[in-house]
Amino acid sequence: MLNYFLDLFLKQIFGQPFILMAVIVFVGYIAMKQKFSKALGGAVKASIGILIMGFGSGGLITNFNKLLVSVQTVTGMQGAGLNTYPTMTAGYEKMDAILGAGTGASWGIYTLLVAFILNLVLVALKKYTKIRAVFLTGNVMIVQAGVSTYIVWRFLGLGMIPTVIIAAVITALYWGISSTLLIKPTKEVTNADFTVAHQQMLGSYIAYKIAPKLGNAEKDDIEKKKLPDSLNILQDNIIATALVMFISVVAIFFLIGGEQIDWLRSAEGFNQGGLKNTVIFLLWITLTLTANIVVLLSGVRMFVGELMVSFKGISDKLLPGAVAGVDCAAIFAFAPKSVVLGLLFGMLGQVLALSGLIIFKSPIFIVPGFIPLFFDNATMAVYANKRGGWKAAAVICTLSGIIQIFGAVLAVKMMELTWWQGSFDYSTLWVVIIAILKAIGAALGIPIAG
Amino acid sequence: MLNILCVCGNGMGTSTILKINVKNICQQNKIEANVESCSFGEAMAYINNTDIVLTSPEWAGMLPPSNAVIAETKNLIDTKQVTDTLVNAIKEHFPNEIGA
Repeated sequence: MLNYFLDLFLKQIFGQPFILMAVIVFVGYIAMKQKFSKALGGAVKASIGILIMGFGSGGLITNFNKLLVSVQTVTGMQGAGLNTYPTMTAGYEKMDAILGAGTGASWGIYTLLVAFILNLVLVALKKYTKIRAVFLTGNVMIVQAGVSTYIVWRFLGLGMIPTVIIAAVITALYWGISSTLLIKPTKEVTNADFTVAHQQMLGSYIAYKIAPKLGNAEKDDIEKKKLPDSLNILQDNIIATALVMFISVVAIFFLIGGEQIDWLRSAEGFNQGGLKNTVIFLLWITLTLTANIVVLLSGVRMFVGELMVSFKGISDKLLPGAVAGVDCAAIFAFAPKSVVLGLLFGMLGQVLALSGLIIFKSPIFIVPGFIPLFFDNATMAVYANKRGGWKAAAVICTLSGIIQIFGAVLAVKMMELTWWQGSFDYSTLWVVIIAILKAIGAALGIPIAG
Repeated sequence: MLNILCVCGNGMGTSTILKINVKNICQQNKIEANVESCSFGEAMAYINNTDIVLTSPEWAGMLPPSNAVIAETKNLIDTKQVTDTLVNAIKEHFPNEIGA
């Protein structure tokens, strides 16, 4: 009898992400004194969102793996794509394979909740911690909490409670410290009191600090110059994702050659024997992978929207004076030309680095992704241009593009995932955090969990 | 009943915060509204059923053509600016929708 209830609560309710997320959203609504019907509606939507995310990420990971397998067959290179959300789900898949279906995401959600509470505590104790910013970007938080959970579990091989606590402490410190660093720079750019809570705060802070040494903000402010409007299309997330994917698939097709393309077309591959024309097949792969990403994003949006209502409500109630940490895109309207500039030079840096991987015969290759390429370099460019003009922003974003790729190679080498975050902080600071956890695990003789 | 669409670059962070704020603003000002959020790249799917699009000037220029009223403000995070922009747009274009 007791076992029946333990199984019901731990595995069926609090171990199944689609139920767990619904419970959290429901409790959040009730705590904010919303009507029962509203709370129930929000809970059902959040639950559906989790499932939609699963459809998108399942399709994406399966389809993308087929491309990676064919590259590996031909070149022996191990590959990984850069995108934040599949990095989380790829980590969960590895945990689920050993711990049982749904475990990864449930542990990740617990890490998210504990890290959010710790973030609030760190701000409440701001007299001692100097941390003033609360992370409110649910879409970023769920990914980072999930990735932390996987890193800690992989190298320390602990059970749920210690894994969640360690992952939450690391994550909450990263959130609090990095977004607090950007309060003053964000004020300079926007003249408003908020900060960025995303995945490149360390990079933006470095850009803010070194830009004055690299250029002249008075003379070279790109916001005072003219740029062609057609460049704006590059900021359309769906079009740009498709474009980056298209270029990557073209490169992969040249690399693997006709025989492997036929294999991809076969029943073992994508089972698209009807698409005999290689160009049409290439377009089909490009747009299918993009569609997988769009489905994943719409699922994330459904539950994150509901989750953020709770987070924002709790933070406003408990810590009315805290600085809200929001998505980096919030600053883009204040410097739209810097955003395009950052994207272009970040791309230049990434192309240079990818060429470097091929020239130096790296055992790992990287398929770039729009999220880390665009959001990171655009954000860093905004701060860099403000402080050092466009020349400083160009230099910083080119370097950042290079660092993103090389850092991701290091991370993939240690994590053995087919996806990685690829953002600046996850190619620098988090590579160090992974290396430290790996060294601790190795020193204690803990085998790699998965 | 008004249909309000909050638009930002990726349809994830900024527009979600904006959606939460707009829902509160509507409640405070006794405006009945459905509030949705998306990226400007996805706006085409919603915009024909939308009365008011709330966004920043950066994205406003890239929206697909429609009959919706476009209300712009630079800082989508600033509740006061958003309130002013939204309430003014409703007063101007949908005066019957604003509660007494």
